Amino acid sequence: MAAEEGQVVSCHTLEAWNEQLQKGNESKKLVVVDFTASWCAPCRFITPFLVELAKRLPDVTFLKVDVDELKPVAQDWAVEAMPTFMFLKEGTIVDKVVGARREELQQTIAKHTASSASA
Amino acid sequence: MAVSGFEGFEKRLELHFFGDDPMLGLEMGIGMGLGLRQLDFDSLQQVLHAVQCTVVSAVGNHYFDSYVLSESSLFVYPTKIIIKTCGTTQLLKSVRPMIQHARLLGLSLSSVRYTRGNFIFPESQPFPHNSFQNEVVFLEDCLPTNLRFRKASVMTSKLPSHSWHVFTAAAELDLSDESVFTVEICMTELDAASAGKFFRRPNDGKSGDSAGKEMTEITGIGNINPRALICDYAFDPCGYSMNGLVADRYSTIHVTPEDGYSYASFETVGDKNDVARVLKKVAQVFRPAKMSVSTTSCSSPEVWKRVAAALESAGLKCRSFAADEFPAAGAVVYQTFAARRN
Repeated sequence: MAAEEGQVVSCHTLEAWNEQLQKGNESKKLVVVDFTASWCAPCRFITPFLVELAKRLPDVTFLKVDVDELKPVAQDWAVEAMPTFMFLKEGTIVDKVVGARREELQQTIAKHTASSASA
Repeated sequence: MAVSGFEGFEKRLELHFFGDDPMLGLEMGIGMGLGLRQLDFDSLQQVLHAVQCTVVSAVGNHYFDSYVLSESSLFVYPTKIIIKTCGTTQLLKSVRPMIQHARLLGLSLSSVRYTRGNFIFPESQPFPHNSFQNEVVFLEDCLPTNLRFRKASVMTSKLPSHSWHVFTAAAELDLSDESVFTVEICMTELDAASAGKFFRRPNDGKSGDSAGKEMTEITGIGNINPRALICDYAFDPCGYSMNGLVADRYSTIHVTPEDGYSYASFETVGDKNDVARVLKKVAQVFRPAKMSVSTTSCSSPEVWKRVAAALESAGLKCRSFAADEFPAAGAVVYQTFAARRN
């Protein structure tokens, strides 16, 4: 939705998560999922940067999943450290960044958006 | 040797706390018994600001949070914090703010351990790090009076450039029941070819993260513990830091490869059955002319023998041995080694 462009969209329920995921798959956009927790200090280190990226990159969908709220999702996706960023394209995981690593996050996004532009 | 260069030798501080929360420190699921991990990121930044360093990257698992800093590393457990900083940082300035922040979480300081090697450029160190005596006076002044079992000692070696400064303070004499031991290694005069791998090519177009990842691979650091989740970073134009996480145990490496004052450190909380293999690999990655190994242990006082045997088999010769007992911290064994090639 246009209202969600430029924002990090938090998925608080399984329904919201599935809906966002499906939307992302259909749009064929790069989807970046931030697996986080309310109590995770390393996650808070990266949050302002992620918000900034979302603002700057409206063609990328940014989703946020709290691993305590959506435990089954975190388990299915084998999230063991936080933050973990999963990169999805049309429903397939194309990359993963573990840890609040600003430069790697930015470069991985660039890698997958550049390839879609040339495709 | 350069008149002054970057000080590789770190200062290391380990603070233990206790609190009333029965969940504290238990190996519960995510979100339980968080203790110090509840410290908000702004408070941590305040503490680091006093030390004069910043966070480069961060990650947490079920057991602890790990931070790579602009000058070395920080680990935060529910009841324990370990800060290690190099250069001219003022590590001991973190003690007062840490005690205050912990108090707001209902946690009180129970023990402290401060260790460091011999600075290469001692005259560049700011107060109180300009002498061990000043450090001890400064640190003691920060501590609550109930930490009454205190000891400061300098463990010397036959290598003039290596000696080990230890200060401990504890509220109780009981040894902590931790079955792990800590290994702290300082290496100097790294092999030139090994040190060269920690320099970046000018305008390599890489980020610190990706250049760090590459160094982890080409140097063999990634093989030291293949199971570890590694957070690595390459500085520009040279230098490298990494934190490794395996369940509740960390390892950390920092390298300042400049010729004339090259230095690398390795530290881990060890598994005594794996320590020989790990140390041999570390020696092979850096091929230092000189190396010191400090092991601190409550429960495995004999682990130094395995350390010595492993390093001898990696081509290093044991040059000195010193042992001392510290209240609550346990036995500290300090050994130095020199390469046989000299």
